[in-house]
Amino acid sequence: MEALAQAILNGLVLGLIYVAIAVGLTIIFGTLRLVNFAHGAFFSVGAYVGLVVANKYGLIAGFVVAPIAVAVLAILLDRILLRPFYSREPTSQLLLTFGIALVIQESLRWIFGGTAQQYTLPPELTAPFTLGPLVYPAYRLAFALGVLVLLVIVWLFFARTNYGLIVRAGIRDRIMVQLLGGNITQASTVVFSLGAAIAGLVGAAASPIYSVEPTTGFDFLVPSFVVVVVGGLGSFWGAVLGGLLVGEVQSVMTLYYPPAANVIIYVLMALVLVIRPQGLLGESEIIRQ
Amino acid sequence: MSGATLRFLLLTALGLAVFPFAIHPIGGYPGLATQICIMAIAAVALNLLLGEAGMLSYGQALFYGGGAYITAIILQHAMPQHPNLLLAVLGGIVCCTVAAAIIGGFVVRLYGIYFALLTLAFAQMGFFIVEQAKDWTNGDDGLQSIPDALLYVGPAGIDLQTPLPALDLGPFGNLSDVHLWYVFAALVLLLVLWFVRTLIGSQFGEVLAAIRENEDRSRMIGFVPQLYRFAAFVLAGALTGLAGGLRAIYDGSIAVESVGIDRSGSFVIYTVVGGVQTLLGPVVGTAVIMYLENVLSGVLAKFPQFPGWQWFEGLIFVAAIVFLPAGIVGTFKRMRKPDFAKVLAVKR
Repeated sequence: MEALAQAILNGLVLGLIYVAIAVGLTIIFGTLRLVNFAHGAFFSVGAYVGLVVANKYGLIAGFVVAPIAVAVLAILLDRILLRPFYSREPTSQLLLTFGIALVIQESLRWIFGGTAQQYTLPPELTAPFTLGPLVYPAYRLAFALGVLVLLVIVWLFFARTNYGLIVRAGIRDRIMVQLLGGNITQASTVVFSLGAAIAGLVGAAASPIYSVEPTTGFDFLVPSFVVVVVGGLGSFWGAVLGGLLVGEVQSVMTLYYPPAANVIIYVLMALVLVIRPQGLLGESEIIRQ
Repeated sequence: MSGATLRFLLLTALGLAVFPFAIHPIGGYPGLATQICIMAIAAVALNLLLGEAGMLSYGQALFYGGGAYITAIILQHAMPQHPNLLLAVLGGIVCCTVAAAIIGGFVVRLYGIYFALLTLAFAQMGFFIVEQAKDWTNGDDGLQSIPDALLYVGPAGIDLQTPLPALDLGPFGNLSDVHLWYVFAALVLLLVLWFVRTLIGSQFGEVLAAIRENEDRSRMIGFVPQLYRFAAFVLAGALTGLAGGLRAIYDGSIAVESVGIDRSGSFVIYTVVGGVQTLLGPVVGTAVIMYLENVLSGVLAKFPQFPGWQWFEGLIFVAAIVFLPAGIVGTFKRMRKPDFAKVLAVKR
């Protein structure tokens, strides 16, 4: 019973990472109609920057610098490489971000080497936290809470600000937003860098939990694609629901039958596709684009 | 056979005959040429999807690695005494065809980005299954010592490791550098190219192109787009399985990465760099990238201060998408033939 509770908490932490990446993917898709293969690379960059800065100036400094660095990188990429591709067909954008991801990943390998690194937490943060009968690392709980707060902030941004309005409208009908005078190009840059910053921040925050390799981001990205497909591309709550579902299923499966843990999420995805091709909370018309 | 087909076959055969010797002075070798021919089959298959049907599959490694593993398992378990190359490869192709038919049932209903993500996800599922089925696949360590299969045409088996007769070719090496393997791989590639060329020129190919350009319209004419997309997907899966099976026997070993995501990506890179929607583009792209990989990784190994080959591969890929969106062959074709749409646009 305790093992199950432990697995559910692990699933929550893992699922929240998926949620954070998937929310970024979804909002970027919504505004730019771009599936960003480089999103995993943003996660990795955030993790490495966070690691380096945290080792020198402390954990909080790492959490501040990592998302900023990743956002700056994202803005540069958007301005220099992606913008000419806005009007090209979606598959060529996909190819471009795939190439960018490859270059970033290999650059990280070049700079930091291929071996896994991990941030060593100060002792007061590694202390186990007692939750009734359950003992769980304090940092992981703090991480889960932090990601939840981050998600609330992102949701408020979309539900309450003008940019959020443009983004949400853009998910429905991009051309109509432009016709009505919404500056979707500017919103695109904001959303792209915001999505990247979320990935960077979560990457930095996750580096004490999961060790960091150049491919770490990509390893999280592929299940996040599953999350997006399960939840529904372009749906914020779909990303949240899908991420938690995938994280929990994977984690609980690890407890009962480890060899199937990585396979089960793809089975889940296939099931969802048969029953609801647009995803649990997705809208049917988006699939065709 | 029409004159154009004959000319195509002769010219391609000539190119393939010269190829292993042409790369000799610039650091290539016949073994690399054989591997290029085999991988080019998979790239041609991907181009059938991406170029003709407009379906960007990011999961072709599933069929490549799947074909490789199944061919190897058949050789190791079913015919260790008389390893028969064609039968084993055929077994791999059949399994890949069945797998592509099952997966195709899910994925052909989806389009563009969604299609790419789904094929990627199914390939990942395959990767983890291969990784976990240790009894058959040896897990992360990959399969080694795959029996050297013979090519049976008639009762006597041909050992493809047999070198050609010796003949000094000066700076281009020696004829005996080339083994029968290359001749075989090049012939298979030629057959595949012929097949795909015929297919593209047939009514099937034209409907596929019509669906790519405007699916709604092609549906209104009375075609069932998903049937055609499904057929293309299954066909590409079978051809990719063929490539995997051949490569497994040629190398004598399989790494688990052959089912991995980087493998799927490499077929996309080969095709895009060479030229989407051109018949020979994927072959040229495969040759260029694999040649560079071989030469550059050798050079880079001596300079640890430089990034690895894959960094350059990524850079070449990005540069190709930005500067040569039509790929090497596509750009070359455009230079030879003026683009009428562009000429008209200038006049207006």
